[in-house]
Amino acid sequence: MIRYSFRRLALLVVTLWLLTVFLFALNYFFPGDPLTNMSGVRASNPEAYQQQVVARNFDQSIVMQYVSFLGHFTRGDWGQSLTTQRDVFADLMPLLGATLELSLLAMILAMVLGAPLGLYAAGQQRGAMDRVVMGISLSAYSIPVFWLAQLFILLFAVKLGWTPISGQLNPLFNIDVRTGAILIDILLSDTPYKKAAIADAINHLWLPVIVLAIMPATMLLRVMRNSMLEVLQQNYIRAARARGLSESRILWLHALPNAMQPVVRQLGLMFSILMSNIIVLEVIFNWPGMGSWLVKSIYERDYPVMQGGLFTIAALILLVNVLVELFHAWRYPQVRKELYAEH
Amino acid sequence: MNVLRVGLLLPCLGVVACSPATENVAPLQEGIVYCSEGNPESFNPQLGTSGTTIDASAAQLYDRLLDYDDDQQQFVPALATAWQAYDQGTRYRFTLRDDVAFHHTAWFEPTRAMTADDVVFSFARWLKPHHPYHPVNGGNYPFFTASGLNHLIEDVRAVDAHTVEFVLSQSDSSFLANLATDFAVILSAEYGAQLLEQGTPQQIDTRPIGTGPFVFEEFRKDVMIRYSRHEQYWREAPKIKQLVYSITPNANKRMLKMLTGECDVIPYPLVEELALLDKGDEINVSSTVNPNIAFWAFNTERPPFNDPLVRRALAYAVNRAAIIQTVYNGNARLATGILPETSWAYSPVDLTYGYDPARAKALLAEAGYEDGFSFDIWAMPVQRAYNPNAQKMAELIQADLAQVGIRANIVTYEWNAFRRRLARDEHDSVLIGWIADNADPDNFFRPLLSCNALNVGTNRANWCQPEFDALLSEALAENSLDVRKRLYHEIENWVYRDVPLVPIANSMRFQAYRSDIRGVEVPAYGGVSFRQSYRVVEEQQ
Repeated sequence: MIRYSFRRLALLVVTLWLLTVFLFALNYFFPGDPLTNMSGVRASNPEAYQQQVVARNFDQSIVMQYVSFLGHFTRGDWGQSLTTQRDVFADLMPLLGATLELSLLAMILAMVLGAPLGLYAAGQQRGAMDRVVMGISLSAYSIPVFWLAQLFILLFAVKLGWTPISGQLNPLFNIDVRTGAILIDILLSDTPYKKAAIADAINHLWLPVIVLAIMPATMLLRVMRNSMLEVLQQNYIRAARARGLSESRILWLHALPNAMQPVVRQLGLMFSILMSNIIVLEVIFNWPGMGSWLVKSIYERDYPVMQGGLFTIAALILLVNVLVELFHAWRYPQVRKELYAEH
Repeated sequence: MNVLRVGLLLPCLGVVACSPATENVAPLQEGIVYCSEGNPESFNPQLGTSGTTIDASAAQLYDRLLDYDDDQQQFVPALATAWQAYDQGTRYRFTLRDDVAFHHTAWFEPTRAMTADDVVFSFARWLKPHHPYHPVNGGNYPFFTASGLNHLIEDVRAVDAHTVEFVLSQSDSSFLANLATDFAVILSAEYGAQLLEQGTPQQIDTRPIGTGPFVFEEFRKDVMIRYSRHEQYWREAPKIKQLVYSITPNANKRMLKMLTGECDVIPYPLVEELALLDKGDEINVSSTVNPNIAFWAFNTERPPFNDPLVRRALAYAVNRAAIIQTVYNGNARLATGILPETSWAYSPVDLTYGYDPARAKALLAEAGYEDGFSFDIWAMPVQRAYNPNAQKMAELIQADLAQVGIRANIVTYEWNAFRRRLARDEHDSVLIGWIADNADPDNFFRPLLSCNALNVGTNRANWCQPEFDALLSEALAENSLDVRKRLYHEIENWVYRDVPLVPIANSMRFQAYRSDIRGVEVPAYGGVSFRQSYRVVEEQQ
């Protein structure tokens, strides 16, 4: 396990390093001055620009420039935005909080919805309910998220008037942004209207969370169903039945833990899909998170912000995937054996 | 299976738990949400001419020496209680109020009320190139340069603590009108000194201090601007405690947010949806006369637009009446010149070119372009009072031009980038417009077509003719209204002959309100004002 963990982590570090090389190269591929693209300081401010030339080794070879770039990057000095002149790294933190809150809630909802439904469908194999559940899940899976979001907005917000459609909270609640995750921020704040604010925040949250959860939930559902069916046909299940174990005991103790293995393996992929959907969704729901920030920066050709956003989202997806793989390998030793045998 | 039931119920539970919306909470009743159309460039109107910046700063954060009353068409006292002209109108004295408090904020505690020093500081900032604040945040003061105020005012000085004297280079009939515009705001000299000491002078425009009815709290780009009530406001303090601008650039989104009640007031509702909005008893739509002009300006420095024949041909080639119907849904008037109908100098003679493709073709042939050419039309990415949909307008023009053999490409950028590139004259032609800042007709011509305006980037046609400028100055120095009217007619004729730009429409400025909102003012000259706005709270039954 230690050897395996070490290899995964080393791979993560190498991938992240390659990502920084790519980002560094982007500064030269973007139109305009590479130093401006990197630091957000324009040549029209000669004093600050000259400082950056020295600080970022732009008077030296390209290798030294990269070394300095890496140094700045790891220290959290990601330059300043070309449009707001604010520090990119400092601006990024609350946005990351807002995105993580949304994605975690959606992930939890997807699991709570997808896994039991998959089990249920497996239990009803080839029955009417199985077909209904699978049919619904397949159609939900094929609906693009941006379209579904618009549809839900029309139905739940405009027609029924149940929910607002933009942002995290009614802006008239004056809540300081600390973590960016609105529920946590409200709890940390000293507003006398905490309860009302929480209710309002949940009212803003549930629609994007549901829309976001639908695609991973349907994926989970189908993986769960298939793996459960496969496990139920294994010899050890037959043997357990032959010994006269109760059906629920077989299901919970013998089938489910083994059926979870491919499901856990899919979690990383699910998270990646969720992150790409969240970018679209944040724009639609005006969610003040990484996704809408990144899209906006592309419109505004704000290169330092684009780099920061790209790196954070890519790093987040990589990190979650590695963690899922590590957990998977730790929880299911047979996976490790396969890996060692291969290499 | 129990797990299943819980799983299925969860989303529904969410809905049930939240559907009793959080109404009747104090902060929601004591505040107003205005869904503005974009990010302000700064919080100081001196620095910009963009309507978004004005809306977010001028009437909320600041006051001026005097105001212009639309209804009575006269100047009324504001920070100055009285004013007097001396020496044939080349010297003005203003007497100031002595009870005007600046904003108290976390970053600035004023120790004194407003005095003449603050007025001198505010004017000297843009007037005097050697003032320590002159180069701060760009050092461009487009309104003052374009209106010629920077040459007109020779000096501003404090006579005593509550008297300020302006010395002018010549008598000018538009001087008071210019002082009453949204741009001539009064900043705090004490705050300026404090920032200089801290070495952060640029904060004067991003963490603003003024005397206005609202105090700036925070600005989150692309999200919102928050203001709170200025408790020591020298007029009656606003009724609402909080004012929030929720930044919503997408016009469809603004309409939806209006319908869901997330916005209390929205600017520039979509013209096509206006009828729909008017029906609901929850939402009211109001319109105000807005002295504006939408136009299509050619970059006259670039070939082939340096040839007046080509410009005239293009003017003939465009069916403007169709634009009024399609883009404005008939909610605008076909422009008959630069000046709108509401201006006193307006003359009813139509000084524009009618739709005549055959004539356009003939003119193109005469100019040597019988095979046509290709060029770019820049279309604004945002809605403005004068143009609700520049993209659609560009598409219509594109189709019209194709009829006479000219290929037009439509180009657009994000709004701030768009304005930056325009100022650098990177365009072939642009669909944009102008909203007058004051009632003087000079405010239409000088910012748009004078040589002075070249440097500040409001002269989109890049058109400079010194004789034209001389005529503008002559009209300004004249005191008799009849003579001025005649001169402005002559000026309009000049524009008609030379066609640096094609006037398209004069439109109304629309706002939509939720029905419980009252008192939001949209003056004809200037930005929206929330000073007297409030929410009608219905008693619970």
